[in-house]
Amino acid sequence: MTLFHFINCAALTFGPHAVYYKATPLSEYDTAGTCIKAAIVYLGTTLIKLVCLATFLEVSENDSFNLSQELLKALIGFLDVAGLYFALTQLTYRNISQNHKFQAVGLGWAFADALLHRLAPLWVGARGLEFTWEYLLQGVESNANLVLTISLAALGSLLWLRKSKPSTVVPIIYASAAIVATMPSITSYLRRGLAWDFSKVVMFELSASLLMAFVTWRLFSACQRPSL
Amino acid sequence: MAIGVRDRVLWQAAVALVALVVGVVVADAAAVVEVYRMIQYDLRGVPLGSRRAAMNHHASSNLAVPGSDLSRTVIILPIAEANITMLNEYLQTKRLLGGLLLLFPHDYGSPTDSDSEGDGDDNYAVVRKHIAEVEQWLIHNNLPYPVYFAYEDENLINILKEVVVNDAAGRPATAMTGGYKLVIPVADAKKLPPPTITNIQGWLPGLRAEGDNSILPTIAIVASYDTFGAAPALSVGSDNSGSGVTALLELARLFSRLYANPKTRGPYNLLFGLTAGGPYNYNGTNKWLRNFDQRIRESMEYALCLNTIGSSSNQLWLHVSKPPDNVFIKQIHSEFVDVAEGLDLSVELRHKKINISNPRVAWEHEQFSRQRITAATLSQLETAPELFQHTGGISDSRRMVNETTVGQNIKLVAESLARHIYKQQGKQIEVFAEGSSLAVNPAYVRAWLDLLSRTPRVAPFLGKNAPIVSAFYKELAEHTMDVSYHHDTLDSTFVFYDLTKAQLSVHQVASVTFDLFVMLAVGVYLGLLFLILLVTTKGFDDLIGALRRPPSRKVKST
Repeated sequence: MTLFHFINCAALTFGPHAVYYKATPLSEYDTAGTCIKAAIVYLGTTLIKLVCLATFLEVSENDSFNLSQELLKALIGFLDVAGLYFALTQLTYRNISQNHKFQAVGLGWAFADALLHRLAPLWVGARGLEFTWEYLLQGVESNANLVLTISLAALGSLLWLRKSKPSTVVPIIYASAAIVATMPSITSYLRRGLAWDFSKVVMFELSASLLMAFVTWRLFSACQRPSL
Repeated sequence: MAIGVRDRVLWQAAVALVALVVGVVVADAAAVVEVYRMIQYDLRGVPLGSRRAAMNHHASSNLAVPGSDLSRTVIILPIAEANITMLNEYLQTKRLLGGLLLLFPHDYGSPTDSDSEGDGDDNYAVVRKHIAEVEQWLIHNNLPYPVYFAYEDENLINILKEVVVNDAAGRPATAMTGGYKLVIPVADAKKLPPPTITNIQGWLPGLRAEGDNSILPTIAIVASYDTFGAAPALSVGSDNSGSGVTALLELARLFSRLYANPKTRGPYNLLFGLTAGGPYNYNGTNKWLRNFDQRIRESMEYALCLNTIGSSSNQLWLHVSKPPDNVFIKQIHSEFVDVAEGLDLSVELRHKKINISNPRVAWEHEQFSRQRITAATLSQLETAPELFQHTGGISDSRRMVNETTVGQNIKLVAESLARHIYKQQGKQIEVFAEGSSLAVNPAYVRAWLDLLSRTPRVAPFLGKNAPIVSAFYKELAEHTMDVSYHHDTLDSTFVFYDLTKAQLSVHQVASVTFDLFVMLAVGVYLGLLFLILLVTTKGFDDLIGALRRPPSRKVKST
């Protein structure tokens, strides 16, 4: 019954992306092209990140938390932000509204991320006879990641695509963007430095992503009001 | 057109890639253990032993767990706690088991320090006796399920504890409830071609008197070196056959020193023979003897066979097939008794008549007697063993062999032989005295006993070029002359099947109900997500509209 388990975990990992696409107006406005373009940008960004990591990072024997290495990894992680910037601003799209643009970009980005990072372990691991909670937790993590990515895309669109922003909100926008962007480093610190259990880390990610999504939504609506 | 072809090629490549990836076997497990399979053989066409090899069932800890389907469970039993009556009952009532995994204690078979003797040894003797009984039951029955042996290690002990707890709580491991699954993915065992048995012989030629041209008489010293047991990969036979072989090699060494100097060379040729096929009615010995020239056979004055002289006992028996009032037998016996007195040992004579029509050959000397050569077997076994009894199986381990006793018995045989060869019967001489250059070498004895206790020697799995066989050859070649192999095929009444070792993977599997539950949960989650996103982004009216559309279309068409 292990193919069964694989199908369950795959549904949990990739299902939400499909559901998000179908349930929101994204499907009506046929933003599939945008999503695919965002996914390709993600691919390129990841490649560049990998090259940088391989060049600058030292290989450590043990799994402990090394501050300088982690700072370096966080710095390279900002390449992600740069990639999102590129996807949001530089690519040409069919005329779709701001609202939908960031959602489509975020969705494509998160889907590519889930596919690249989670499909292979799922295929190799979840089909085995041995049962672990790991793959279900990975699915939950992928959900949290989706929320985080869309929040980051929303904040990015606020930062770069919108010209008029109430000045009080701007620092909050920057702060939230910084937090969301450094989320991978925070999770790796929790896992390695504090040696948290995988399930605890995933719970943290989930709650953090929901919190950040809420904050982003408030910020977004706050910026929305003048243009309305 | 070009695009179409390219698409097709891409599609085929994708399919091939998917097929390749699907074919990858996943094998991560909670534990991977080396296990040893029980023997599978046919005796005169009757199938015996464990007839299956592959195992893929859930684990259980005993036979009486309520609610478990035993034909789909593997029972894990520490061998000391195996209840033979219950297992036998299951067998006789033709109830099927999914499999049997018998566990040895972790340090079973390894020699202990001399400090920890006493209680440990008594306990060990009891355990060993029980293991011997289990082994006999296993060997002589047809078991239609896979049987494996393993040594307990941390992993297995923990797994067994959990299984016991689950069974006690009434939650046996099945497909519905999940639990531990034992998997050994092998194909069924295949018949082996008739095995080669290899006998090794070496000569120490005696000294002919000046002007004497007759053939010197020969004394043969023989020991069978192969074993048979419930687990061929574990049948090291330390006492049975291990002690005899070690004794023979040490005797060869001692007498080669004596014979090296022409002044001390006796008027007898000494023939040392290491024979195979012992457990199978000494088939090898039979074929080896038939191979000899008639003249050599006639020149054999007598043959001494060594069998099981290793345990801590000072009682030995000299088994003969000629009637005990035969003069020659009396002489040989008295030689032994004379020496035995001085060594605090006792050697009794035991007579067993040979029945030519009975194919069962219980002692090696009987094969000599059937060729009209006077022979005797020196052994610590009092009665003749039955087929596959005392053949160096899993219950015969290094711990029960006392190297001091082996040394003493070697001295006994050596001195008795010396008295016979140099015609010093009745005289008080000591040829192989302690401290002399002819003393029995305890280090040599220990080294060979240790080596033999690490080498399983079941003939069908030994092969022609087994390292232990060449080791025997080299050792004999060091001390004797004209060392040669004699290869032959084992009697066809015994047919063996291959596969003696395998890897067991223990997986912890989740039950089907769990998978169904997860599927339900994920389905509900995705459904809820869909609804929430639909409502929040498109609004509630759209949802109602989506549900209402089919009827409205009907209305429109009419």
